[in-house]
Amino acid sequence: MALDSLDRSPPPFFRVGFAPLTKLIFFGTLSLILMYGDKQLQFTQPIRAGLSTLVMPVQWLVLQPGHALTYIGKHFQSLAQAQKELEAAQLKALLQSASSQQVAQLQIENQNLRQLMGLQNKLASESQVAEVLFDVPDPYNQRIVIDKGSIQNIVLGSPVIDAGGVVGQVTRVYPLSAEVTLLTDRDQSIPVLNSRTGARNITSGDILMGVPSIELKFVPASADVKEGDVLTTSGIDGVYPAGLMVGRISHIERRVDISFARIHAVPLAELKGRHILVLQPTGAQPVAKGKTP
Amino acid sequence: MIMERGQALLLPVSPLFIIVSLVGAVVLSMLLGLAQALWLPDVLAVCIFFWGIHQPRRVGMAIAFILGLWMDVQQSSLMGQHALCYVLLNYFAYNMHRRLLWFPIKEQMIQILPFFILADALGLLIRMSTGDDFPGWSLLLVPFLETMLWPAANFILLAPQRRAHDPDANRPL
Repeated sequence: MALDSLDRSPPPFFRVGFAPLTKLIFFGTLSLILMYGDKQLQFTQPIRAGLSTLVMPVQWLVLQPGHALTYIGKHFQSLAQAQKELEAAQLKALLQSASSQQVAQLQIENQNLRQLMGLQNKLASESQVAEVLFDVPDPYNQRIVIDKGSIQNIVLGSPVIDAGGVVGQVTRVYPLSAEVTLLTDRDQSIPVLNSRTGARNITSGDILMGVPSIELKFVPASADVKEGDVLTTSGIDGVYPAGLMVGRISHIERRVDISFARIHAVPLAELKGRHILVLQPTGAQPVAKGKTP
Repeated sequence: MIMERGQALLLPVSPLFIIVSLVGAVVLSMLLGLAQALWLPDVLAVCIFFWGIHQPRRVGMAIAFILGLWMDVQQSSLMGQHALCYVLLNYFAYNMHRRLLWFPIKEQMIQILPFFILADALGLLIRMSTGDDFPGWSLLLVPFLETMLWPAANFILLAPQRRAHDPDANRPL
């Protein structure tokens, strides 16, 4: 048996390269610099965007078998199920038709009133349909990745909604994809309006008994809040258009020793389907030239 | 050449197989990530550690660093978090690669467990120090499951090297 057919070979005498400890210190320092840059200075975004153009095609390939299985599963779904869904969709469309028919008239009326009052006209939000690719696997935050990016004119900070309500906000934009931070992420805040009382609050994500939810911040313990109150966007932030559904108050805890109440709400976004709507931030929209007072 | 008694003589490793196995581990990690379960082991970390033990001159810290950055971008975690963990694992693997293979598999597993615990704890520490919440107790299972993968890694990743050096009609493998 020839010696070159064996795996064991002596280490080279010369050209052994850098010492392992040197390499560890070099790469360790590089990692620490990257982490500090990512968290504090935000200079890693170009590196992330560059690498993501390499990662995304692989990710796309990895997702395909799952998509194919879902497709085949749907294909063999029973006819009754499909008919039931169709019926439900038709009923929903019928229920919505009354209000949608009034929208055009209301818009004209609103425009006239605004002109009368000398307010600037805001254009209706432009929107793009995007597909949810996957939930971000990082267990520390709540994000999803969508299949539209800066090439399709997705802007950083755009609000994202689905059939139920506000999903979240675009927090990272890559050329071919974008990351949406959900409202239930602890770093994500949204200004809301209690539609029953008209009180304005701010929320942030929180985990209540293992379930991701949103928490109303800085509400005095004596405030008028009830379970079941619906929260909508207040529209004063220049990002979210006013009147979008956000959540429903599910849990109120008033304690004597704290002057604020602990209030939690369940998000109304369904995130069931694969499609979501990315809106333009209201602040970034061109404002129609109205009559200035 | 000094070897432990009863250990099989291995064929030279094919660099192509190392690349294929690392790419496979990356893809598997991406697939497991889609499951959104905290306790799922990091297959890529095991693979990097394995090649760090068996082929320390081929799979070094540079490869570990690049693969770590790849996972950071894919998982959208803090840039450099996985990279640091993988580099550290590879360094530990280098330091123990001459000693570890003298032990049977079970004793190898006992010896590598602390390093997986250390690497996973480092990842957790980094995230907690940047202000993230503790994600859940099932995270503690991860290093143990990674250690449980060691025999499987030994079986799968050494299989091409366990073939006969002179295959014939009666002994194709």
